[in-house]
Order: sequence, then structure tokens, then C-alpha cells
Amino acid sequence: MNPLLVQFLSESRDFSQDIGQKLLQMEDAPSDQGLINELFRLVHTLKGNSGLFTFPEMTRVLHAGEDLLGMVRDGRIAYSRELADRLLNAIDFVMELCADIESTERIDASRAKDAARMTESLRGLMPAVECEAPASARINAAAATAEEMPTLAELPGATREELLRHCRAGEALNWISYAPVHDCFFQGDDPFFCARQTPGLLWGGARPSEALPSLAELDTYRCVLEFHLVTSASREELDEHFRYVTEQVRIVAVNPQWLELTESNHADPHCIAGRSVIANAPAQTAPSSGAGEAWRERTAAINAIFAAQQQILMLDDHPDWRAGRIRAVGAVLVNLARSAGDQVAASEIQAALTECLSTGRNSLLLLWLETSKAHLIASLSGASAPLSTNPAATRSNGSEEAPPASEVGPAQSTPGDGIKFGRRAEDSSAGPRNLKVDQAKIDRLMNLIGELVVSKNALPYLAQRAETQFGVRELSREIKGEYSVINRIADEMQDAIMQVRMMTVSSIFQRFPRLVRDISRKLGKEVQLVLEDEQTEADKNIIESLADPLIHIVRNSLDHGLETPEIRRARGKPETGTLTIRAAQQADRVVIEIIDDGKGIDPAVIKQKAYEKGLIDESTLERIDDREAINLIFAAGLSTAAVISDLSGRGVGMDVVRSAVEKINGTVVIHSELGMGTTIRISLPLSMAVTQVMIVESDGQLFGIPMDNVVETVRVPKRELRKIKQSLAAVLRGRIVPLKSLNTMLGISATPLANSDDELAVLLVQAGGEILGLLVDGFRETIGLIQKPLSGFLSGLSAYSGSALMGDGSVLMILNIREIV
Amino acid sequence: MKRVLIVDDAATVRMYHRGILESGGFAVEEALNGIEALEKALEANYDLLLVDINMPRLDGFGFLKEMRRQEIPQPPAIMVSTEAAARDETAAYRAGANCYLVKPVRPSQLLAHARLMLGEAGR
Repeated sequence: MNPLLVQFLSESRDFSQDIGQKLLQMEDAPSDQGLINELFRLVHTLKGNSGLFTFPEMTRVLHAGEDLLGMVRDGRIAYSRELADRLLNAIDFVMELCADIESTERIDASRAKDAARMTESLRGLMPAVECEAPASARINAAAATAEEMPTLAELPGATREELLRHCRAGEALNWISYAPVHDCFFQGDDPFFCARQTPGLLWGGARPSEALPSLAELDTYRCVLEFHLVTSASREELDEHFRYVTEQVRIVAVNPQWLELTESNHADPHCIAGRSVIANAPAQTAPSSGAGEAWRERTAAINAIFAAQQQILMLDDHPDWRAGRIRAVGAVLVNLARSAGDQVAASEIQAALTECLSTGRNSLLLLWLETSKAHLIASLSGASAPLSTNPAATRSNGSEEAPPASEVGPAQSTPGDGIKFGRRAEDSSAGPRNLKVDQAKIDRLMNLIGELVVSKNALPYLAQRAETQFGVRELSREIKGEYSVINRIADEMQDAIMQVRMMTVSSIFQRFPRLVRDISRKLGKEVQLVLEDEQTEADKNIIESLADPLIHIVRNSLDHGLETPEIRRARGKPETGTLTIRAAQQADRVVIEIIDDGKGIDPAVIKQKAYEKGLIDESTLERIDDREAINLIFAAGLSTAAVISDLSGRGVGMDVVRSAVEKINGTVVIHSELGMGTTIRISLPLSMAVTQVMIVESDGQLFGIPMDNVVETVRVPKRELRKIKQSLAAVLRGRIVPLKSLNTMLGISATPLANSDDELAVLLVQAGGEILGLLVDGFRETIGLIQKPLSGFLSGLSAYSGSALMGDGSVLMILNIREIV
Repeated sequence: MKRVLIVDDAATVRMYHRGILESGGFAVEEALNGIEALEKALEANYDLLLVDINMPRLDGFGFLKEMRRQEIPQPPAIMVSTEAAARDETAAYRAGANCYLVKPVRPSQLLAHARLMLGEAGR
């Protein structure tokens, strides 16, 4: 994809998100002028960006949004929920279009209708008079509405300007839509030739009349093109020209107003070029800038620049930056003279400028322009001629080369009371000076540091070998010294990269205002959302895996927890329920609490439901207390809502939440008080990048076991093993612990090896609240490592949570204790 | 090499203008808003300014006014806007712009303006 388009999509996404947020903020502060200005600017800029490409659907919707916000900004219409809703929808639509563009680099033709509807819905909120303006083009259109002639509004701006010039010169233009029938080639027609030969042709474009099939399926004998032409020829001439295909041609007299219609989308297409072809940036599909075109642009620019300088000099205001303004005009004129190679003119301008600055009047420069402009324009237009033959150069006093424009002397008039530049109020709203970095780059850095951390572990081995194998104790000590230095640096690097990966929880919290607003409105509930300590940080992966569980919980709270206003009133609670989402860092964990003041969870109901669904048996039903009962909502397949809504309540919510949280070594606890509300507390590690792992040996292989699972290591004499039913057990610290052989669990046939004292190595692990002894051959050290998830074919092995590279180059498999037990 | 400062808050537009100007052999620098542009313009003498109107912190009008107040060499400035209205054009001239182009600017159009305003001889 072309890099400009990539940039556009990335920026559009950021802007859309920003706009969504600002709209929500507006709901709380509808009269905040700063906010509305900001909002307007964002939509305006986004619209401007889309105008660089041929995405009329997007531009049109954004244009309407911009107009609407402009009116809100100017106080012509009031901000309302309705307005926010429609704008939010429009922004969602823009996001969808971005997704379209991302996948196909174009917007599907079917979107045009949605765009029109969306635009209509936005314009519908504008006062009637304002609505007229964009629709005015249709007033005089007897036969064709603006919709029927889409290409006219999509013409490049320059072309429209040129066509408009023809109109103003009194020419009557006709717009032609020529849609050749599909089998026209078999009727002896040559549509392209016919279109090209249209008399008085001023502009022409072709585009597919239906979606083009893939190249393999393309039937080259079937015409799927449609031509749009603008011509100055009369109706009679055209009827004559198209006499063989009259039924395929529609001719409409152009109303000049259509050309003035400032739908600001105009890319820079080739003349006869399909729309899908030019759906890229003009920079990439730049017109074959022939000499003719460049010459035209240059002439136009010369005239425009002169006219502008004249207009500036004629301004009748006297602001305190007037001197600077005049000096800039001087610089432009001097440069124009230099462009023309006319040093004499340059020094004349310089002299006039100095005079103007000292007198505070522009008359001298204006006078110079009036008398010498034509001459300079002439030499500029003919500037391709050799400079020496330029007649201007021979003129008059042969002064020194004029100073370059940028050295035009300092102002001689007093600068007035202009504010001296420095830090000021605007600075306070400064955006963060952040660097946006592709995640892949961070991941790469992370991987490299991971490898460094592991490679450095090879040094102690080396030191040991130096001493034991080669007997060089001195070298061994030196290696160890170097090791400690590298070790420290590696640790710091690891820490630094962790810091880079830290994200604030606000990135997920910011989704909630919209979510809560939409859902609560759908459910007819009044909910106030309170977000606390959004700036709490955690590792990116943690934050990302937190998003889905949190959304589940929030949906549940809104759906099942918080009551409708009527019920709340009846229960003596404020009608508006409060949902608080709070983040906090506690030691090396981040804790998220979701608190609602809804109806709470009734343990009796839960118990009953769980019993009915067969999740607990009768004895459990009798035995468990309220706390345990409430925690049953984390069991799979339990739904307590009387009515299953489309939001939640299919009973898949909470158990999904728990497994998602546990997957990243988190815990989730629920606390609920009937009638008062529910608090759900999720605790997660700050970072999951470095895992402390204990290495064990079994059947000559090494395995890693996360320290989170390890309780303790013990040696049990073989004779103390007990056989209970089919399984092994041992009495440890006064309790019976079931023992399993790691070999058996991994399908290795070898039996556990005992040491010389006939003791077996037992690693006590905990999984899901239960303690189990793993029989292994031996324990090794505990190390911190960066776990990499198994990928590809191996990712199906649930017994392992990942792998890591060891200092000696070998790969360590890390066991997923919860799965294998 | 002539140096042009692009002042625009939209990264897409900056990239677009940069591409055009660099293809014309100009050195390009960027500023994201008026304040940043002013900081840069006070540090270095640019030969041309390409200024957007709507920007956060300090808009194009504010930037140009402040720029024109400074007692430094005054480079020509092109203002680019999405609005074709004459009212905006006059406002741009009042603020200190030397010409006014409507977005999206055609590559050949921008190059023609830049070359002339920078005093480069014919193509």
C-alpha cells in the first residue's frame, strides 16, 4: 500500500478515536468552548486529509459533520444527545470506511448510499436555511439532481474552476453520461473512440459501471465502462454525434451552480481514468505533468502571486506586524525578479521597500507594481529563454546583485507592542512529546534483550570450565567479574524495555464511556460511570488481555447488577446508578476493581441455580456459605438472569472472565452484598515478561516450572511412599499429599530416579488451590527468563506454556502445571 | 538547497506536501503547530513557509502574525486551506501570508508557487 495511504489510515484512526472521546466529554460539558473548538478542528483536519484522496463518501460525511460542529461552535445550534449520537454514528462509519480502504484500498460502491444517508442525518440537524445551501444546486435542476450527476461534484477542483470559467464566459456546457451496452463491441461500436471524439470536449472520465471481476474472470469482450463528459458543444451537435447510441446517452445542461458546489473533494485524476484507478493519492498517480501543464501552472502561479501581493499592499489595516508583512511581500517580489533573472527590478523593489518601511505607507511598492508588473510577468513567462537575452537585464544602473530575499534588512519601523515570543498560555495544552513506535520494533528489542539475558548466563559456565577444566583460576575470576558487569547492564536494559512496554490502563478504560452510555441507554438505565486512577500502568500484554474480561464484567454489571430507575427509586436509592472502575498498583501487581451499587447477588438464587444445573450436589448445597455461593458465578454454564438479553446472560460471561484472568497469572474475586452492590476485584501481575522458573530434571531432560506454582521442594525416602488406591501419596507436614510422576504425566516411560540415600525428589506444586507432589529426578537452579509462547505446530501442546532459550543454547520447555495436573 | 518549513497538524498532509517539495529539490522540515513552527523559525532562517490554518495550540493566522512581528528576515509564506472563501483568503493576507492555496494542492501547482516565491529561475 502506498505510504501516504498508510499514514492517512493510521492518522484517521487516531483522529476518529479522539473525536469519539471528545464527543463523550462534551456530554458532561456541552458549553466547553475549548472542547468544541478542538472537536471541530479534528473533524476539519480529518476531512482535509480525506480530500487528498478520492474518497468522496468519507469526505462528504465529514464535511457535513464539520458544518454541523461549526454551527455548534458558533452557537447557532445547541449541542444535544441526538447530535452526539449522529456524530458518533458518522465517526463509526468513517472507521468502517477506513477498514474498507485498509483491506481493498478503495471504498466499495455500496457505501455511497450509507454515506448519503449519514450526510442527510447530519444535515437534518441544521437549521432549514443552512440546509438549503448545499442543496441549492438541486433547485434549478429540472431533470437531474446532484445525486444523479455524481461526477460533477467529484471533478478535480482545478477542472471545476476551469469549467466555471467557461460558464462565466457565457458558454453553455453539457454534461453527458454515456453508458455503452455490455455487448456494444458486437454492434460495431467503439465507445472509447466515440467518447474521445465528442465535440467541444472539456473534460472526460471513465469508470467501471459495475464492480470489476478479477483479472482471470474478466471478459474482455464485455464493455463495463461508463463515460462522463463535459462539453461546450450544443445539444444539437451532441445529438448528432451520439445518434447511433441515443438510448445509452444522457445529456444534461450544466448549471454553473453545480460547479460551485464546494464539496471539497477533488483529487488529481488523469483525464480519462477509472475512478478505481485514481483511488490513490495524487502524489503517486500524479498526472503525467507534461510541459504544457507545468507551463499553465507556472503562468497561473505568476498571476496569482502578483495579485496577492497587490492585495496585501492594499490592505488598509495597521496591525503591529504590518512591517513584517510588508517585508515578506518585498521578499516575494525580489524573488520573483530573481526568478526572472532581473537584478534591476530586484534592486528597485528593494529601494521601494525601504521607503515603504520608513514612511509606513505602501504606495511606493504599489506604484512599482502598477508600472513594472506587466514587464516582469512577461519576462517570467518567457523565463525559459536564456537570461542574457532578457531585455530587463540591460535596463538602467547596473547595481550590485540584490541581497537574497532572506536578507532583506530588519524593520525600520518600531515593532510596536507585539508580544515577544516565549512560553505562554497555549503551551499548557501541549500534547505529550511521545514517540509512536511500531509494536513489532519493541517486540524485536524485547526478543534481543531476552537473548542477551540468556547468553550472558553462559559466562558462569565458561568461568567454571576455565577453572575446573583448564585450571586457570585467575581467568575464571576475571570472567566472573565481567559477568557481573554484563549482568547488571542486562538487568537494567530489561527493566528499561519493561518500562517502554508499560501502558496506562486508560487505553482500555477509555472504551468504557461509550460502552456504558450505549448499553445503559439500550437498557433504559441511568448510569454514571466513574473511572479512577486511569494512569496506573502495567505491561502492554497484561493491559491487552484485560480488555475482554473487563468488558464482560461491565456488561454484566449494567445488565444484571444495576436496576432501572423505577426500581431504584422504589428501593430508596438514587435513580442514577454508579459504576466505578478503579485501578491501583499494589506492590508488583495491578488491581482493577469494578464496583456497582446495584442489587447485588443473592447467594440463595445462585445456590439454587447451581444445584438445578447440576453444578453442585445436595450436600454442597447445604454446606457452602454465602461467599462460596457467590463465587459459583465463575462456574461454567451458570446464568441467573431471568431473561436472557442480547447483552449478557448467556452464562458464558464470568467463567470466561476467570479463565482469561488466570491465564495471565491473575486472580479474580467477587464480593457482593444483597441490595447494596457488587465489587469484582481483578489482580494481575504488573508484567509477564520475566517469569521466575524452577528447573527440574526428569529422565535426563530439563523442564521449567513457573515459581508461581512451586510450593516447596522436598526429598522423600522411598519407603515413606504410600499407595492409596491406585495412586501414590506421602505424608508431608502432617497432611496427605498425592504424588504423581512427571514422567507419567508427560508420557515418558522411565521411572523416577532416587538419589544415593534412596530418596525421591518431590516438587510440591499448587494448581487450582490443590497441592500436589511431582516426582522428578532432581532439582536445578531457579532462573528468571523471558518466556516465548509456542508457535506454529507446537502451539497445540497445552502441557507447555512456552519455551525459553538457555545460556548454553539449549531450549527449555516450560510446563503448564494447571493443564497437566 | 532552499529550505521549506511545513506547518500542519495533519501528518498525512505533511507527508503529501513533503513528497511534492522534495521532488522539486527542496529541503523540508516540519512543525506540527504554530508554536513549534515559531520555535523553529526563530532558530533557523527558512526560505519559505507552507502554513495550514487550523492547528492546535496556535493556528496558522496566529503563527504568521507572530512571525511577522519578529525582527528577523521575513520569508514568503504560502497558506493552505480547505476553504475557498474569499473571506478566508483576505484573513490570510492580513495575517501575513503571501499567497493562498486551496487544499488539496496539486503537485505541479505547489511546485510552481514554491519555485517562483523562492526566486528560482525558470524550470
